Amino acid sequence: MATHIRRPLLNPILVREARTRMRGFRPYLILTVFLLLLILSTFGIYQYMVFQARTGMVVLSSHIGQALFKGLAFTEMLFIVLVAPILTSGAISGERERLTYDMLLATPLKPGQMLAGKLIGALSYLLLLIVASIPVFSTVLIFGGVELRTLIWVVLLLGSAALFFGTIGLFCSSLFGRTTPATIASYTLVLIVCGVPLLVASIWPQFSNPMGQSPPPWLLYLNPFSAIVAVTTVTPATFQPDMPFFSVNDPFMVVPFLSQFSVGIIRYAPEGPVLMPVYRATLLGFWLGTFVLLWFSSHLALPARRWRPRWSDLGFVAAVGAIALLMWVRIDWWWIVPPVDPWLMPMEPMPMPVPIDPAPVP
Amino acid sequence: MTLAIETIDLTHRYNKKLVALDRLNLRVEQGCIYGFIGPNGAGKTTTLRILAGLLSPTKGEVRLLGERLTTRAAQRLVGYMPDFFGVYDDLRVWEYLDFFARCYGLRGARLRQVVDELLDLVDLAGKRDAFVQTLSRGMQQRLCLAHALVHDPPVLLLDEPASGLDPRARVELRELLRTLRDMGKTIMLSSHILSELAEVCDAIGIIDHGRMIISGPLAEVQQQLATGARARLRIARESDVVLALALLQRHPLVSAAGAAAADPRALIIDFSEALNEEQCAAILAELVNAGVAVSEFSARSENLEELFLRLTANTGQANG
Repeated sequence: MATHIRRPLLNPILVREARTRMRGFRPYLILTVFLLLLILSTFGIYQYMVFQARTGMVVLSSHIGQALFKGLAFTEMLFIVLVAPILTSGAISGERERLTYDMLLATPLKPGQMLAGKLIGALSYLLLLIVASIPVFSTVLIFGGVELRTLIWVVLLLGSAALFFGTIGLFCSSLFGRTTPATIASYTLVLIVCGVPLLVASIWPQFSNPMGQSPPPWLLYLNPFSAIVAVTTVTPATFQPDMPFFSVNDPFMVVPFLSQFSVGIIRYAPEGPVLMPVYRATLLGFWLGTFVLLWFSSHLALPARRWRPRWSDLGFVAAVGAIALLMWVRIDWWWIVPPVDPWLMPMEPMPMPVPIDPAPVP
Repeated sequence: MTLAIETIDLTHRYNKKLVALDRLNLRVEQGCIYGFIGPNGAGKTTTLRILAGLLSPTKGEVRLLGERLTTRAAQRLVGYMPDFFGVYDDLRVWEYLDFFARCYGLRGARLRQVVDELLDLVDLAGKRDAFVQTLSRGMQQRLCLAHALVHDPPVLLLDEPASGLDPRARVELRELLRTLRDMGKTIMLSSHILSELAEVCDAIGIIDHGRMIISGPLAEVQQQLATGARARLRIARESDVVLALALLQRHPLVSAAGAAAADPRALIIDFSEALNEEQCAAILAELVNAGVAVSEFSARSENLEELFLRLTANTGQANG
């Protein structure tokens, strides 16, 4: 007879995920599509740069490296945003549909462990995608031009986005009983986070009063694409008004569709163009959002008495509190106060013409 | 001896309105197979889910082996097999058991040993490396039963374990349940296939509208509820049927006698009380002495199915 039950040393869900994640053709199909997309992006960007050079533009080797890095990081982010929710949106609802949820709940496994196992399983697959993309990324090394700091920021953003968008899938999976509504709800949330701010930012100048104002940076704080574009955009060390800041070599600034992703990232001030570092708020926002959604999911996954306080809530409160405290202490680091658009600056008053006394009539 | 399962005034309401269990008192002895019978919606699954620690009762108390029920105690003492169980199609048979064994904290050599022993017990050692989706329904049922045994629980709760099984798989399951009982496990199972329960159970409980109607050892329950007995006899010559019916209808112990619809030479006789063997022999002698050629005579008591129908019909009428 079982006299006592030990806690599992290794999360059983994670062990199961590790065993089954690469079974069947689907994981390999996703990996192939992902790598093909990256190779096509690399080839497209390179051809674009060569075309610019042929039309007489000054294209340095570092320009090609920077454009390739930006394009590949963007494609990777796009893929993470699209794939992470689908990897996790069946985590709990799938167990319910498969009628295995009761069997799991009858074991000492806690819903939190289930969520953690599923999330780590999905993240490890995304990590595999990122690692598999290293050979394609290494083409950047041929041309150079990317700082180590930028590389670290991109890796941080990609990892945090995988965590955040994976948690969106988990949240919807815990909320809905079936996987199809959970997946639809996940993508609706993804659209709200990624698409709506870009759309609002692009029409902001038309509807602002007075017209022509730049969109406020907070609108783009949670947008992963704006963050990637902002972190990979290179600002000139010194401003030379006679030289254009935006190189026509940067497809994200000039190609019509891609330029939508750079909306609101650059402001023009009298002393030159200013980059909006929205990626700082993106990083903190993703961390905060991940813990809040995980907390909701851990309660929604319970079969009964969902909202009764639990000891695990203290962990979530500590994590969310720590991030909130960090954000409050370092608000000047991530909260952007944009410069006022030059055309909205109050003009110096024109000197009133001094009235000329009429010459005395002799 | 401490009871394996005991519930005291167990009550459960869904959404504060629908009463699923109404002061249910249940007593299951250790080491027996207890059949839990009731129509759909009677509260069988709710009871089993409460005993498995998956549902908190609105009121009442549950004791497992004398220990007050908590989620932790249920996880330790109970192996639960739900009525609609799922399997992970993408897992192999041994991986399926390995997964659940890990959930109970088993590891290393002990983990491998438990998986091997359980595969032998449920006769799936030959399918060890097969994918779960390739198993037949009966095999999947046995695998699911094995999953409930990974932590060696003293109490097994099986919700409709025989549903959807073919006759051979049912016989195999019955044998497996007897083996488990011999190993000292207490098994509580719900089923609609009452003939199955009659063959395998030591005790039964009949539940309807969340209330226990009757509970106890099978023979005792049948005896307690015996309202009479029934006999079937077959007449060799059709010309004797009328005479036989006339004689039987005049007999003081016979409450009703009539020809069976499918066979006009077969007579069904209902007695007003349970008869002993001598009384049966006397009736038979009376018929033979009157010149009736009797080719078959068989007396039988009410079976479990009839008992269940009679009891649940009574409560249905009382509630209606």
